[in-house]
Amino acid sequence: MASSISLTGIGKSYGPVATIANLSLEVKAGEFMVFVGPSGCGKTTLLRMIAGLEDITQGEVAIDGQRVNELGPSERGAAMVFQNYALYPHMTVAENMGFGLKMAGVKPAERDAAVQRVAETLQISALLDRKPKALSGGQRQRVAIGRAIVRSPKVFLFDEPLSNLDANLRVQMRVELARLHRELGTTMIYVTHDQVEAMTLGQRIAVFHAGKIEQVGTPLDLYHRPGNRFVAEFIGSPRMNMLPARFEGGAAVVLSAGAWALPESGVDLRGLQTVGVRAEDLQPGPVGGGAVQAEVRLVEQLGDATLLHLLVPGSDANVTARLNGSVHEWAPGQLVGLRCAADKLRCFDASGRALA
Amino acid sequence: MTIPLTPVLQHGGRSGAGLGRHAAHISAYALVAIGAFVMLLPFYYMMVYATHTNTDILAVPPPSWFGSHLMDNIADLLERRPMFWHSMGLSLWIAVAVTVLNLFFSSLAGYAFAMFEFAGKEKFFGFILATMLLPAFVSMIPTVLLMAQLGWINESRALIVPAACSAVGVFMMRQYIGSAIPREIIEAARMDGCSEFGIYWRVVLPLLGPALGTLALVTFIGNYNNFIGALLVMRDQDAYTLPLVLRSLQGTSGITWGALSVGAAITVLPLLVLFVFYSRRLIDGLTAGAVKG
Repeated sequence: MASSISLTGIGKSYGPVATIANLSLEVKAGEFMVFVGPSGCGKTTLLRMIAGLEDITQGEVAIDGQRVNELGPSERGAAMVFQNYALYPHMTVAENMGFGLKMAGVKPAERDAAVQRVAETLQISALLDRKPKALSGGQRQRVAIGRAIVRSPKVFLFDEPLSNLDANLRVQMRVELARLHRELGTTMIYVTHDQVEAMTLGQRIAVFHAGKIEQVGTPLDLYHRPGNRFVAEFIGSPRMNMLPARFEGGAAVVLSAGAWALPESGVDLRGLQTVGVRAEDLQPGPVGGGAVQAEVRLVEQLGDATLLHLLVPGSDANVTARLNGSVHEWAPGQLVGLRCAADKLRCFDASGRALA
Repeated sequence: MTIPLTPVLQHGGRSGAGLGRHAAHISAYALVAIGAFVMLLPFYYMMVYATHTNTDILAVPPPSWFGSHLMDNIADLLERRPMFWHSMGLSLWIAVAVTVLNLFFSSLAGYAFAMFEFAGKEKFFGFILATMLLPAFVSMIPTVLLMAQLGWINESRALIVPAACSAVGVFMMRQYIGSAIPREIIEAARMDGCSEFGIYWRVVLPLLGPALGTLALVTFIGNYNNFIGALLVMRDQDAYTLPLVLRSLQGTSGITWGALSVGAAITVLPLLVLFVFYSRRLIDGLTAGAVKG
């Protein structure tokens, strides 16, 4: 059974220091919501407040419309998967997974059956008699996830669960988590600082910065229509190129090294200070004629793509262009003209707010 | 020209360093051996004297090897102190009871200090540590008066209750729990619906093995050997613990060294057994938590 989560005016203070202030968010029933942001932005604190592991200084947390501020962690119907697995070292895998049910007074036979069922789903049936120290990192993470699933919670809370795994295992577990969400249909909140994890797993993403939510939206929304400079630069790899610019002549962005045409959107662009463009939207070509001039500093061959690192003269702006496949026509020191389709440009004012 | 010289120089250098290391090793072993000899000698003589008569022991030179009067000395001891086995049982009971209670209360308090935030926590912990700085003799008279007022004189609880929780134990447990038990495990148990005492009992306590083992050994040995405490509150002969029995064998009219030695040897046996089986754990436990792994 999936449940909705409603956060209203949430605040968290440690003495006089407020780490989260007046934050509101709705997580729909059955949704996979990702909290993403740099370290110390308050995303884990908020997750722990939803779990009941952290006191709520102000505001209300409601699960399925029912206020849960005063309920203990086990009374909220939420299960949590911790970053460092948090398995009980002295218990076997089966005991670890069944511990929550045991505390809930479930009979041993029912408990064993539930543990078996979840173990089969996660393909860890062969590990049930082992202690955590006899498991690899990936196996431990599966057990931690199994421990959460076995209680049939209304909400799953994941606190950077893949950050201790190596890159290959992380990709594999990411796929499994997505499959698990599809199969269980339960509401999941997933905290990460890895924007690739956020983009691949989340149905919606909340981008956190300094205790505030900068933007909430689908992964592609955030990627193509960031609400401000922080989101634009945080989401996407390579990060969005930011170039100082000004609005001139009604429809042109003038940079120190050229100009790009802007789409006619009807938005007042007079406050424009910065223009943002994704690496894959830049097309290098000959200098002049609607192009911004830049000098190639480095060429990186990634196999499936080529990254050009460029410097825009006069602005000290470093720009990255991503070209499909192995491209060998550019070399360091060469001057290129960068072109960009008008609808791919993002405009930001002095405060970093998106204009169009 | 350089070819024959190089190996000779290298060989000389290595040999010098090797000899130096060798000498250092020998010196270290010699020091440890001397220390062990000095400490073991009284034990050895206690065992040897337990098998000789008083006349043999007082002869010049005294015997240095085992004799044949062990059973005679045991009989002599039991004749002089018929309550000896009762006293041994009492000593063991007090030591075991204090050990169990001290492990329980110290780990409970240590867990609270390590994992919970509460008003005055640091001050309260500092106060507990400060009690370790007070000489034991300072609290002697108040303790005796208190025990007398409670009517506990000559009762084993007069030695058990005051020792049921120790500042050293609380400190040791707090340090160990703080460094060895991840906070997330506690939170996972909380999410699993475990009560706060349940978390301590089912999750924390089973993970304290090394620290509990060390504290158990130190507590058991300290209380089994407790002479001053027993001297103050155990006044009747039938309430004597082993240290008091051994002391009572040393009368003014002459000491029966054979009976005293056999009594001391029997007294020390449980400690020897404990040491043989748990010395490794004792050493491990004393260093555990010193460095965060």
